Amino acid sequence: MANAARVVVVGGGVNGLVAAFYIAKAGFAPLVLERRELVGGVAVTEEIHPGFRCPTLLHVAGPMLPQIVKDLQLEAVSPQKGNTGLVALHPDGRALRMYEDPRRAAAELAAFSAHDSMSYPQFHDCLKRLGAALAPLVSATPPDIDDLNIQDYLNFTRFALKFRGLDQKDAYRLIRWAPMPIADLAAEWFENELVRATVAAHGIFGSFAGPRSAGTSAGLLLHTAFAGDAVLVRGGVGAVSQTVAKAASAAGAQIRTNANVTHIRVKDGKAASVVLETGEEIVTNAVVSSADPRRTFLQLVDATDLDPTFLTKVRAYRAVGTVAKVNLALSGLPAFSALSKSSGELLGHIHIGPDTDYLERAFDAAKYGDFSPEPYMDISIPSVTDSSLAPNGSHVMSVHVQYAPYRLKNGNWNTRHDEFGDTVLNALASYAPNIRELIVHRQIITPLDMEQTYGLTGGHVFHGEHALDQLFAFRPFLGWAQYRTPITGLYLCGAGTHPGGGITGAPGANASREIIKDLKSRR
Amino acid sequence: MHSTYDVVVIGGGHNGLVNAAYLARAGRRVLVCERRHVLGGAAVTEEVFPGFKFSVASYVVSLLRPEIIRELDLPRHGMEILPLDGTFTPMPNGDYLWRVNDHAKTRLEIARHSKLDAEAYDEYGRAMVEMGRFVKPILAMTAPDPTSLALKSLKNLLSLARRFQKLPFEDKYNQVQLMTMSAADFLDQWFETDVLKATMSASGIIGTFLGVRSPGTAYVLLHHYMGEIDGAFRSWGLVRGGTGAISNAIANAAREAGAEIRTQTGIGKIIVENGLAKGVVLENGDEIRADIVSSSVDPRLTFLKMVGSEHLPEDFVEDVTRYKFRGSSGKVNLALDALPNFKCFPGEGPHLRGAISISPSVEYMERAYDEAKYGRYSRRPYIDIVIPSLTDPSVAPPGKHVMSCFVQYAPYHLKEGTWDEKRDEFGDTVIDTLAEYAPNLRDIILHRQVLTPLDIERKFGLSEGNIFQGELSLEQLFFLRPVPGWAQYRTPIRNLYMCGSATHPGGGIMGAPGRNAAEKILSGWKR
Repeated sequence: MANAARVVVVGGGVNGLVAAFYIAKAGFAPLVLERRELVGGVAVTEEIHPGFRCPTLLHVAGPMLPQIVKDLQLEAVSPQKGNTGLVALHPDGRALRMYEDPRRAAAELAAFSAHDSMSYPQFHDCLKRLGAALAPLVSATPPDIDDLNIQDYLNFTRFALKFRGLDQKDAYRLIRWAPMPIADLAAEWFENELVRATVAAHGIFGSFAGPRSAGTSAGLLLHTAFAGDAVLVRGGVGAVSQTVAKAASAAGAQIRTNANVTHIRVKDGKAASVVLETGEEIVTNAVVSSADPRRTFLQLVDATDLDPTFLTKVRAYRAVGTVAKVNLALSGLPAFSALSKSSGELLGHIHIGPDTDYLERAFDAAKYGDFSPEPYMDISIPSVTDSSLAPNGSHVMSVHVQYAPYRLKNGNWNTRHDEFGDTVLNALASYAPNIRELIVHRQIITPLDMEQTYGLTGGHVFHGEHALDQLFAFRPFLGWAQYRTPITGLYLCGAGTHPGGGITGAPGANASREIIKDLKSRR
Repeated sequence: MHSTYDVVVIGGGHNGLVNAAYLARAGRRVLVCERRHVLGGAAVTEEVFPGFKFSVASYVVSLLRPEIIRELDLPRHGMEILPLDGTFTPMPNGDYLWRVNDHAKTRLEIARHSKLDAEAYDEYGRAMVEMGRFVKPILAMTAPDPTSLALKSLKNLLSLARRFQKLPFEDKYNQVQLMTMSAADFLDQWFETDVLKATMSASGIIGTFLGVRSPGTAYVLLHHYMGEIDGAFRSWGLVRGGTGAISNAIANAAREAGAEIRTQTGIGKIIVENGLAKGVVLENGDEIRADIVSSSVDPRLTFLKMVGSEHLPEDFVEDVTRYKFRGSSGKVNLALDALPNFKCFPGEGPHLRGAISISPSVEYMERAYDEAKYGRYSRRPYIDIVIPSLTDPSVAPPGKHVMSCFVQYAPYHLKEGTWDEKRDEFGDTVIDTLAEYAPNLRDIILHRQVLTPLDIERKFGLSEGNIFQGELSLEQLFFLRPVPGWAQYRTPIRNLYMCGSATHPGGGIMGAPGRNAAEKILSGWKR
């Protein structure tokens, strides 16, 4: 006997939960089905070793839009004064502290380059202005360029007014920067290689692209668009998911874990029900998939329910993972040669990738199907701010590693799992020589694990490349960027839709707006 | 005081000459000043070795605007275009891919590699022609300024948006992909045969410092479908007598219309008085006054050398300074005693009459680029070869041949050593690469000329040896070419115009910048 739910949300990641929250608030009690035993998707804090808990995939939550923070009653925090947002390490033992406060960062930069110290505040301010101009796009539904409606014209006007509000120089920057390689942009502003590489990292984070790949500056712009008026939220990555889940439940959403949806059944061109791994079928009016586009259309829906040209586009959608995670349970704080032992230095992120060529070479390896012998790493030690994550005096360290291509040319991820772990530790040891002695346990999450354990097709943490041809009105596909799909009653709300990946909830919130509109008109 | 000339055109390359021809036809008194002893700039024929005439730099033609051919009556002035049939790609495994203009034949050939690709090839061709139709009118228009509230700019932008809007959905989809994707990614969606994708994607990277996997390179694929010769969409051609014959024909048309053309007349300075261009000072110190100065040389030479930054707004100087040249190619011209004999296709077949492309795989192409990123020339470069003497025997002594090898990547900035030290080594690399496919090559070389990016800069006055007067990357195209806010052929100096490849729509023997700029200059006059 089939169960029934008016709206089923496939996947209990942050976007699925945010969508469920808004749909519940609108009075259409949704049912969220999460295949794993815990909600959160890529935003989860899990026990990696008895007593050690670590954000297993992404280790930064947000920035999130103020509206979402307000509606879900998340707790906004302002960046701590004097906090090093990021410390970039150089193998020669120097460290560059990029403080949140641009003036303070400029003072720090003076030791590296007088020129860059002068440029930095200007660069920072410029990004802020551009971010403010782009911000309205983040929370808007992208237009369907084949069929523009009133809302699209309104959105366009809102953006155009902001755009016109920029002076001509900034307006041109916006146009010029988007297609540029981030390496060129960084080189236009800065002369010091460590500074350039640190800026460049914004463009390549999570992407199958190197700093010299055209279009990587768009990654930076996307980031600034969020920063335009988004805020940071308190608590670790897992805590954010839990809070979002609580808010969704309180609003009336039902959440089931260990409920793996394997099939979306379509009847007469309409999404009719979902089938779980157990064979249980749940009849529904609408299915909202927070799974990635490839999983949704190539695995959950029957190919016969879709038009072949649409399927061709789904197959062409680029979602080849390039990120791996190494999560370490440590018996103490690692001693980085470039940093003092005070834990204050370790509050922010640690960037490893000392120059543009280093980052580019790391990418070269991935192009030919190998992981980087000297990878780019973004490190967070969350136990410094949250001591409950590890036993007393112990720590957990989360290492985002690039590049680790989903498809290896030689061997596979199962056979090269440990070799990869050793490579990362070798690279780490050249900056923190005592790291090996501290390791209690190491967890390696390869792109293959991301696919198998976390359901990310192709192992892409952002559900698909953030490239110019896959952003905004082109995410996931031109003509289908409005969260609807060719199947009536089937929607997308995940990171594979505008404005893309990261723990922002914005795709979920945008999607819910369109879904609620449709549900109301059908009532 | 009355000026001697209405317009002085700096540079006698094909764009400068086109510009002069149109201005002269409109009744202006025009003087063209060319630094070298020959006209044509990079579209030049020179007898480098006795009896052997080379299209020293630019070697094929396809993009030359048909309206220019028509309006300047270039065939009457001596231009004759000979079809260049097909592209032959030898492969290291002894196989090859040979595409020709005969569609049915090409289809059979591709089917030999993949039946699916043969079918996709038809569809691809149709889609690209549609895309070409959309883009073509853009080449002939002055780029609008998207930040301006001026009526004309808004109108142009809107009409562009409306034309896009009217495209069928699939075409919109393709168009967006072409503008944003890499050539390799774009082709991956259509084809499975590696060598086919490699050879096709090669056209996306010619003259740029980008790899076939770099986003933004897909757009250039279109250029291959925009080339027109006598109305035949998408074929490429050689010019009888070498590419210099085009320049000479344009020069003849200009002279007939009344323009004066001087060679060995290098420009030292552009005279600027009270923010107005007043003429030029020659390298020999002579002054030539004119109402308008139209420069076909690149922005670095025009503004930083000839005008001087003291006459220009700071922001503008900054933009010109960071305009990317980054030459990435070299040229090796060979005088041959006989024809090369390819291992995979022995003998003197018609496969030698088209382009020969050393682009055996996408990975090969990408690896060639990787080396350049770190300041080395490719040890196994991409090479595009033509043997014009097979089609036009007038360029070589009887029984002998000229072979033109376009080589990429050869970065202008080397990490180690200088191009003067590395020139021969670079030439050897090219010959070694070719000899792997045609082992007899070494024995039949009579003479060789190696042009590094440094040589291209010195000889043709192209900064950093960039053959297109600046990278054809997205942030330097259309209303961003050459610099934001100055894509309308005007400059911050009144009466100084730009008319070279550094302006919209860019490089190649197209002539569009010269013609568009002439229109702009003349419309300014009327007002």
